[in-house]
Amino acid sequence: MDARDIRSQIETVDTLPTIPSILRKLLAVIEKPKISINEIGSFIANDPVLTSRVLKVVNSPIYGFPGRISSLNQALILLGLNVVRGMLLGVSVFEAMQKTMVGLWEHSLGCAIASRIIAKKKGLKEPEEISIAGLLHDIGKVVMGLKFPDEYALAVGDAQKSEVFMIDAERKHFNITHADAGGWISLKWNFPQNLVEPIEYHHKPHLSKNVPLQTAIVHFADIMTRAAGFGFSGDNFVPAVHPSVWPVLGLSDAELKEIIQEFEESLGQAEDFLLSDE
Amino acid sequence: MKRVLIDRLKPGMKLAKPVVNDAGMILIGEGTLLTGTHINRLENMSISSVFVEGTSGPAKTKEELIAELDARFRKTEDEPYMSTLKRIMKEVIEGMNG
Repeated sequence: MDARDIRSQIETVDTLPTIPSILRKLLAVIEKPKISINEIGSFIANDPVLTSRVLKVVNSPIYGFPGRISSLNQALILLGLNVVRGMLLGVSVFEAMQKTMVGLWEHSLGCAIASRIIAKKKGLKEPEEISIAGLLHDIGKVVMGLKFPDEYALAVGDAQKSEVFMIDAERKHFNITHADAGGWISLKWNFPQNLVEPIEYHHKPHLSKNVPLQTAIVHFADIMTRAAGFGFSGDNFVPAVHPSVWPVLGLSDAELKEIIQEFEESLGQAEDFLLSDE
Repeated sequence: MKRVLIDRLKPGMKLAKPVVNDAGMILIGEGTLLTGTHINRLENMSISSVFVEGTSGPAKTKEELIAELDARFRKTEDEPYMSTLKRIMKEVIEGMNG
């Protein structure tokens, strides 16, 4: 298949009959360039399932205030519009994630947690925004799985059988990767720049022009999550850290150890969060 | 044994590890069947979760965790920085409780 052809097909993913209805409704709202916190708030509040999912996620270890946010308004004020927007996308692709790959949701959650912990350590002002980039970094896998379910399942099977990395199996089957697909769909859906680049370049962090630190964080968080063996991203192996990332992150061994310790502790709580009832 | 967030505790759950305060003093002993009163007390403390009996999958030993870590790194161990990452992950596993 030609890459341009695939791109135009992927960009129509929101017209698929299999796309969760909640996501379809949500896209109509978040694609609006100017949306207020009140509009988002009332959109969520009109849907009890969405409300409970949002509250569940904001109280999860992704954000580091477990159990302390009891109302939707509080969540919106604490986390801000961009974070809530991204998180809504995350929760609405949950089922699609599990359908593409069992364990992809856990992998994404792990990456969100790791991204927040590293961002905090680096003193970034909005660690929650970076955690959203972590949560959505593999959105390309979801849209490829939705749009080309049979072919994508073959690529997943290939990666398992012949022990190649998922990204190489994707190249073989599609000539493009989930990072390309993720970048296209995030542009199509008007994601902010600080989400687009980490999604598009999480395997090639040196190409990020506008938000190199954020992209480096998501790249490394992805690798940390695989190194910890949390969730399933399609690979049984940890891919190598891109050499450009180490100097950008500038972490000492001691800092890295603190990050990994906090990460392992949070993952223990995340497991509980994942096991709890809807 | 599994880790459970304080707000998900239910009376009747059995503590698999003692609850200790910052000074290391045992507040509620291992094996205690939690009551509503215990849970209320825990809610007012600065801890987020405790270990109770039950399964979230069988707990793995440190040796098993390290064997799995070795397996995951076997393709990229020799790449730059990967040995550092692996060494630190190993140190964290070795330093874990229980």
